[in-house]
Amino acid sequence: MFGWFSSFVSPGRLKEAGVMGMNDRNYSIIARYNKRSLYPLVDDKVQTKILANKIGINTPRMIGVIEFQHQVKNILEIVKDYKEFVVKPAHGSGGQGVLVIRSYTADSFETPSGRKISFKELYQHVSNILSGLYSLGGKYDVALIEELVHFSDIFKNFSYQGIPDVRVIVYKGFPAMSMMRLSTAASGGRANLHQGAVGVGLDIKTGLPLKAVMYNKPILKQPDTGADLMQLKVPFWREHLEIASLGYDMTGLGYMGADIVLDRDRGPMMLELNARPGLAIQIANGIGLAGRLKEIDETYPTGLNAQERVDYVLGRLK
Amino acid sequence: MKKFFSVRCILTYLLVLSAVYAAYAAYYKIEYWGFNFAPKQNTNIWTIEAHVSFMPNGEPIKVSLARPTASNEFKILEEDVVANGFKVGKINKNTPRIIATAKPKDGGEQNLYYRVLLFDNVDGKGRIKATPPKKPDMPVMDDQVREVAKELLKLAKTQYPDDEWPARIIKLLNQTPPEPTVVAFLPMKKSQKDMAQAVKTLLATEGVPSRIARGIKLVENKKSTSADLMIEAYVNGKWKLFNLKTGEKGLPKNFVIFQRGGDSLLDVEGGEDSVVKFSVLKSITSSFKLAGKRAELADQKVRFDYSIYNLPLAEQNTLKWLSIFPLAILVVVVMRNVVGIQTMGTFTPMLLAMALTKTGFAAGLIAFGVIIALGLFIRFWLSKLNLLLVPRISAVVIFVILIMQILTIVGYQFDFKIGLSAVFFPIIIMAWIIERASITWEEDGAMNACREVFYSLIVAIITYFIVSSEYIRHIMFAFDELNLVILFTVMLLGTYTGYRLTELTRFAPLVKDKK
Repeated sequence: MFGWFSSFVSPGRLKEAGVMGMNDRNYSIIARYNKRSLYPLVDDKVQTKILANKIGINTPRMIGVIEFQHQVKNILEIVKDYKEFVVKPAHGSGGQGVLVIRSYTADSFETPSGRKISFKELYQHVSNILSGLYSLGGKYDVALIEELVHFSDIFKNFSYQGIPDVRVIVYKGFPAMSMMRLSTAASGGRANLHQGAVGVGLDIKTGLPLKAVMYNKPILKQPDTGADLMQLKVPFWREHLEIASLGYDMTGLGYMGADIVLDRDRGPMMLELNARPGLAIQIANGIGLAGRLKEIDETYPTGLNAQERVDYVLGRLK
Repeated sequence: MKKFFSVRCILTYLLVLSAVYAAYAAYYKIEYWGFNFAPKQNTNIWTIEAHVSFMPNGEPIKVSLARPTASNEFKILEEDVVANGFKVGKINKNTPRIIATAKPKDGGEQNLYYRVLLFDNVDGKGRIKATPPKKPDMPVMDDQVREVAKELLKLAKTQYPDDEWPARIIKLLNQTPPEPTVVAFLPMKKSQKDMAQAVKTLLATEGVPSRIARGIKLVENKKSTSADLMIEAYVNGKWKLFNLKTGEKGLPKNFVIFQRGGDSLLDVEGGEDSVVKFSVLKSITSSFKLAGKRAELADQKVRFDYSIYNLPLAEQNTLKWLSIFPLAILVVVVMRNVVGIQTMGTFTPMLLAMALTKTGFAAGLIAFGVIIALGLFIRFWLSKLNLLLVPRISAVVIFVILIMQILTIVGYQFDFKIGLSAVFFPIIIMAWIIERASITWEEDGAMNACREVFYSLIVAIITYFIVSSEYIRHIMFAFDELNLVILFTVMLLGTYTGYRLTELTRFAPLVKDKK
């Protein structure tokens, strides 16, 4: 009983550490800096992709979009030029409804975990996407089919299945905090921290690991592969930050999360943007987000372009 | 300065204002409508019936009967006179007597009935301010009796020095065994009337004005041929009532005065052998039902007419049911934004709690468990059929209905209340819980699905215990202005930026590592 009680800390100490709570995030940050009318730009992955391509942000190539139920049967026709593909709901969140097909024949589709599904199951999955099962608010949705990212071998030992991605929190256009999310057996190949993925806080200036957590607890090694998480090194760090910073120019959202993956051939690519990024990143970094945002509010210059903002964060622009 | 006009400040003012308004309204309703914080408050209604009978003697008839006049000690719900063949004078709240007249009659016994329904009778002080009446005349009595009286007064003064004169005399006369002097003055077997007369005489000897008050003592199912008496004496500038048995001062709760002073209770002209018989009957009614009458008596009728409580009972019950919702909503808001428990759907737990109040707690939980378990089982089977979302959900809804039907039939056969009550569950909500739970199950594992259902259930149970309390329901209905307070509390919570309770553990690693 007392043990359970001692797992609580006083709100005063959290405040002192600059930790941001959900209510504060929703009320003081999201409601103030994220205009409601801008949400569709990031909630709809098809729109995000088109916008990103316009502004010159690298994203996985779109193979096709299935909008109507009667198009679902054409899925093989749509992907016929590709050996592998990803199906995801355009309005999905938290990685729900994402189906990765690594190889397939006419009636057997293999996922990265080796599970084989039939065409009927694939058909069903796309139907579910269209009927809004995975979309926010259960509205009708479209299914986005895009190229599979060939994730870089650099992270091979750090992630169990799934694609590791870098989440960068962007505040007023400045990359504010970042972490790498590594899927584990416990997370079922997904990169969501609450499902059991590992979060590795990355120093925003260098991209070097600060600390790692799984289920809110600090860890040092990847639980499945045993890799030393402190050896993680993200290449093309500057490019990661550039994509994140450009995301602000592209959407106008004052507070957002950019999810970036590293393709072995095409470099860092923006997977999606999020208008309500979660707060677990604070735990992965061991740093309070409120304190960081306050610093940006009070000391960072305004009126910079994306490149300059990145330079400033990297400490190259005084 | 700007701070005073921020959203948070304005909402705080509104909250304080609404709280003040609710407090005033509560005071008003208690004061004028007799509302109570406790539920199921009952009020006794006393029915007093005076039955007057006499034999006409051929002259024109005039019957005059004293009636209780408006006073602070009780309220009159209704009164009526049944007098066939008589013309009854108008009665308003200050009419001291009922007058019934008739042409000369011959023939048998005449009967008149006067019925009055009283409620809210309270302990009155029984004091009336009045200008001093003239000094009472020295009673006429022979010298021997006068000596006894003086002796008695002396005794009374020495034995009860702290009491007022009337109390002294009453206490002395009621002593058992009686003083020899008392026996000389008043027979051992004394009637109420003898006693009252004796006290009056002694008071007059001492120079204290007094009069006899006739009324009815409220005792259940009482039948009596005579009125009950109290003595009223003029002491220190006020008329004060005294109990003839104990000498206690003041008007007791259960005594209703019909008439005071010299006039008789009943006068009949044109008749003989007139008798008035009283009977008293107690009935109990809900305090709430009398609110309208109380409002009327307090000249607050208009306000009452435009309140919930003047609506037909069916509408009142609906509104009573609705007026508990804001509180349940407040619970949900607090659970989510202050405690930080994630539930399935925002208001699902609240609707579950409402269903539980209809089904009963244990039966409802069992029914809920059975429906969810069977529903999940069926949902897993359905997911193998690869149906589209809307038809699949619809199928689950129909299955839920079928499960409820089966529960009802089985429950009836086994004389078990579960089934009959299960019908109250919001069917669509149940279907959605099943759908969400099964998706969470497939995607995040059984643990997460069970946790979500469990948390929703916990919040539902907490809400249930709050909304099922008879006290709270009564207060939220009787003092419905509280809903305004809840509204502004909820809105103010909308500006709450502090940590949620669960975040105090969630983010604990952020400060613990620093040590």
